[in-house]
Amino acid sequence: MTRYVMVADLRRCVGCQTCTAACRDANATPPGVQWRRVLDMEVGTYPDVQRTFVPVGCMHCADPPCMDVCPSTATRKRDDGIVTIDYDLCIGCAYCAVACPYQARYKVDLVRYAYGDDPMEPEEKRHDPSRVGVSTKCNFCVDKIDDGIAKGLTPGVDPDATPACVNSCIANALHFGDIEDPDSNVSRLLDDNQSFRMHEELGTKPGFYYLWDET
Amino acid sequence: MPDPHKTETVPTYCYQCVAGPDLLKVRVEDGVAVGVEPNLEAAEIHPGAGKICVKAYGLIQKAYNPHRVLTPMRRTNPKKGRDQDPGFVPISWDEALDEISGRLGEIRATGLLDESGFPRVAASFGGGGTPQSYMGTFPAFLAAWGPIDFGLGSGQGVKCYHSEHLYGELWHRAFIVTPDTPMTKYLVSFGNNVEASGGVCGVWRHAEARVNGLKRVQVEPALSITAACSDKWVPIRPKTDAAFMFAMLHVLLHEVPRDMLDLEFLKDSTSTGYLVGPNGYYLRDIKSKKPLVGDLDSGKVQPFDKAGINIALEGEWVSDGIEIGPDEQTWRHKKCKVQTAFAHLRDHVEDYTPDWAADICDVEAATIRQVALDFVDHACIGETVEIEGETLPFRPVAITLGKTVNNGWGGFECCWARTVLCTLVGSLEVPGGLLGTAVRLNKPIDDRIESVVPGPDGLMAYPFNPTDAKNWRAKPKIRNAYDTLVPLAGDTPWSQALGPTHLGWLFQDDPPEHLPRPTLPDVWFLYRSNPAISSWDAPGVAEKMSKFPFMVAFAYTMDESNHMADILLPDCVDIESTQLIRIGGTKFIEQFWRYQGYALRPAIIKAKGEARDFTDIATTLAKRTGLLESYNARINSGAVGVKLSGDGYDFSLDVDQAHDAPDIWDAVCRAASSDLTDGAESDGLDWYRENGVRVAPFPQTKWYLYPKMKALGLRFELPYQERLYRIGGELANRLHERGITWWDEQLKEYQALPKWKDFPGLWLEDEDKAEPDAKDRFWLLTSRSMQYAWGGNAAIQIASETGSNIAGHDGVIINRGRAESLGIADGDRIEVCSELRATSGRAVLREGIRPDTLLMIAQFDHWKTPFAKDFDVPSMNTVTPITLKHTDATGSGSDIVRVGVRKIGAAS
Repeated sequence: MTRYVMVADLRRCVGCQTCTAACRDANATPPGVQWRRVLDMEVGTYPDVQRTFVPVGCMHCADPPCMDVCPSTATRKRDDGIVTIDYDLCIGCAYCAVACPYQARYKVDLVRYAYGDDPMEPEEKRHDPSRVGVSTKCNFCVDKIDDGIAKGLTPGVDPDATPACVNSCIANALHFGDIEDPDSNVSRLLDDNQSFRMHEELGTKPGFYYLWDET
Repeated sequence: MPDPHKTETVPTYCYQCVAGPDLLKVRVEDGVAVGVEPNLEAAEIHPGAGKICVKAYGLIQKAYNPHRVLTPMRRTNPKKGRDQDPGFVPISWDEALDEISGRLGEIRATGLLDESGFPRVAASFGGGGTPQSYMGTFPAFLAAWGPIDFGLGSGQGVKCYHSEHLYGELWHRAFIVTPDTPMTKYLVSFGNNVEASGGVCGVWRHAEARVNGLKRVQVEPALSITAACSDKWVPIRPKTDAAFMFAMLHVLLHEVPRDMLDLEFLKDSTSTGYLVGPNGYYLRDIKSKKPLVGDLDSGKVQPFDKAGINIALEGEWVSDGIEIGPDEQTWRHKKCKVQTAFAHLRDHVEDYTPDWAADICDVEAATIRQVALDFVDHACIGETVEIEGETLPFRPVAITLGKTVNNGWGGFECCWARTVLCTLVGSLEVPGGLLGTAVRLNKPIDDRIESVVPGPDGLMAYPFNPTDAKNWRAKPKIRNAYDTLVPLAGDTPWSQALGPTHLGWLFQDDPPEHLPRPTLPDVWFLYRSNPAISSWDAPGVAEKMSKFPFMVAFAYTMDESNHMADILLPDCVDIESTQLIRIGGTKFIEQFWRYQGYALRPAIIKAKGEARDFTDIATTLAKRTGLLESYNARINSGAVGVKLSGDGYDFSLDVDQAHDAPDIWDAVCRAASSDLTDGAESDGLDWYRENGVRVAPFPQTKWYLYPKMKALGLRFELPYQERLYRIGGELANRLHERGITWWDEQLKEYQALPKWKDFPGLWLEDEDKAEPDAKDRFWLLTSRSMQYAWGGNAAIQIASETGSNIAGHDGVIINRGRAESLGIADGDRIEVCSELRATSGRAVLREGIRPDTLLMIAQFDHWKTPFAKDFDVPSMNTVTPITLKHTDATGSGSDIVRVGVRKIGAAS
């Protein structure tokens, strides 16, 4: 079996949002639709304050609440753990967006462009009407992964089979791979470091791990 | 030009900020650029693994932005000012160039210098030399032209690491100072926000270092991105960093055992052992005039370079000798009791205890002491490391400084203390330690190591502007008087823009006594620069710009500076034009390559509208002004980065012909290929368009200055600043001979061992007089934003969108508790008012900032730039005055101002 997961090393992440921009670029999402973004979190009271940068997006849960509430079966989980949305089936009810505890889903009803109502040439060329009025989210750049695998490449190792956010990360904080493979990059990282998953108490079994040093 | 019906990825470079260049690929479909991605094929050669930062993802929007100026335009309203409609109307390129070349022709006929001796043509470019990687062959035109005033600032001096640039180059050829990060184990950063301003390489290297165990202490008033990623945040009171570092010096020299310092390095690689005479100058041998040292083995005083001596660092010595002061003033001494520079340093910092600093810095003495102890504990004194077969000292500790710490008053003291701390533990220019990245004031400008040449007294030479009576320039070359007032600025092509660049603006209001009358240039070129937003006192500068008689702006959008222009010229943006640049070696901010060579930025898409390749604009201007032959000759001799002929190859242009941009860059590419392969290859433009870069190995040993210093038998000029002390005395003599006394405060900076001064008091004293009981006063600071810094990206939507994910980009950061005590809630509209004027914006309440400090990230307050003018985000540039009082001896100011705050509206 294969389960693809993302690993974010919080010791490395500087919140630069390069992954955010790379995701927007690679997936041609409209302004404000950030399938990958980085939270800027502050805890404590001056002067005992900590500030942490936390990459978020779809957690590709093993037990995804978004899938359970989907009335049209548009949201599915593949055998390799990637949670997808079939835009042809999605009716835009947004139950999934409400159900997702990670606020990872977006629904755009009005088409907007970077500079208003008129698209620039690249936006016009990449506009996908099938994404209007439906739920969208991070899909781990699934087409790229499938294409890469078809070419004999290894996701998370070969850039042509790896999500754009991972390829873009300038702190080497984001990693991707098969957690079921004990020798994969992500398995080794998780073996060698402390990690946690977001809202594990909800039982969603996220496919997104965070590395950190507990102090 | 790419095939319009093909899908391809084209390699290019991004050099929008000083932390570049980085390498990327642009995806093109049917002639339309649709996306960018890192050039991961270059992962092996690029020190940031071939990645690009968030700014590069805006290049597509930058090209297709509907707000671009896409045709030449002429102003029709002769009145200028923010409140005036310029009345720009489209004109043809011929009309625009006719008008410009007509003006230039008049100047050539009249004389290149005006009645004050200043160049009639001026040119201002954006930050850190990055525009030069986009202006094609324009430098060859400028060189062919003759004298040009490059010193009308856009904010540099107050926005850069100014004091560090100048003193860094003096002490270790370090225009920019960085740690040897991946190898560094302990780093104290005073406000150096490297995670936001260090670019891809900075972020990559520091992330690697963190997981490898680097301990970083971030000392600064606000919890910056870098502080967030550090082991410890120390919220220091603004402008007191020098006191913290002076106390660290005290700990090292008075509280830890001597053998915890690198005594060998101090003796053999610095001037620490030189004896200091009663007047503060080195005691010198009477005949040879060489500085004297105490020899522990013989017990005698000897010239510093006598073979086989064992130089004493301490002790009292008795000797005959001379001292040489300003203007060769000489004192002769008989059996004079003297001490070493080290002993003077020791005594100098005796009273600067952590307890003394604690009150000044608002930091506990125990914290200061612990940082100092941890610093020395991690220094690995005595250890070595092998780099490419060469055994070098390994001293993995460093101290970095950020903007406002390393410029303006206190900048000298901070730069000096930081460098001396590293010197005491031998971590200067060795693996793991404190390094320079590049030179800009020494030559050759592209080879830091080769810029090391012997100077006086066993130290490095430095190209000071002359201060002796015969050669001092009483009449400055340009309006900011860098060569008259700032010996350290030197006189390379970068020096004009590294002088006191705001003086060109300040003097317009307040002409300096006994210097030539300030004049306005007849023609002013502006490129990738927006001084009406980016300068301190930006509105004041905008007002002064409105008086310039003829301004030519290479215009991307209608921005605040272009608003004052007479002619707008649309040049091609990054992915529309062609240029080859040098890459590799070592370069600011943290670019340490194992390769060097060249990268091409090809024309990837067809130029929008009537935008023209800058090279074609430059060629046309050269032709129309009768400078074509000289312009071509400058290109041939290397004015655009590569000499077109060398051993076994000659791709020189016919100097009598005007050449198209592709032909010029093909010749440059061929010369670059030959240069890099000793003539074996001559690949041209097509090859680079396919492959992007060509490199050859660059040895890691050239990251460090130490081996070259040892090879030449030179010493670092630390800690005692005898030469600066003397030069300051000479400069004082020259200025006073001319009756100039308005620079007297600046002259006090020339000290052999700098003393603590009440630097915050420089800002507080006026306020204390005016409002002694004010309760709503704050320090206002700013901070760089990776999304925006240097890139001219305020008009780019993706920069705004990604920036908004980071706290504070939408307003003014204020301490939550302090804000609430003033009745200010998150999102409330507040007015921030200095002695100059007020600005306003949303309050962003955070815990990670001192209660006495406000933070405005980046530089906004746009009123003209499309898209950005709707941000409604303030900038401290609106409220920071330009003053001589706040100008230090290097000609820089600090990005800091005292302000009052009041709520003017509730959150919406």
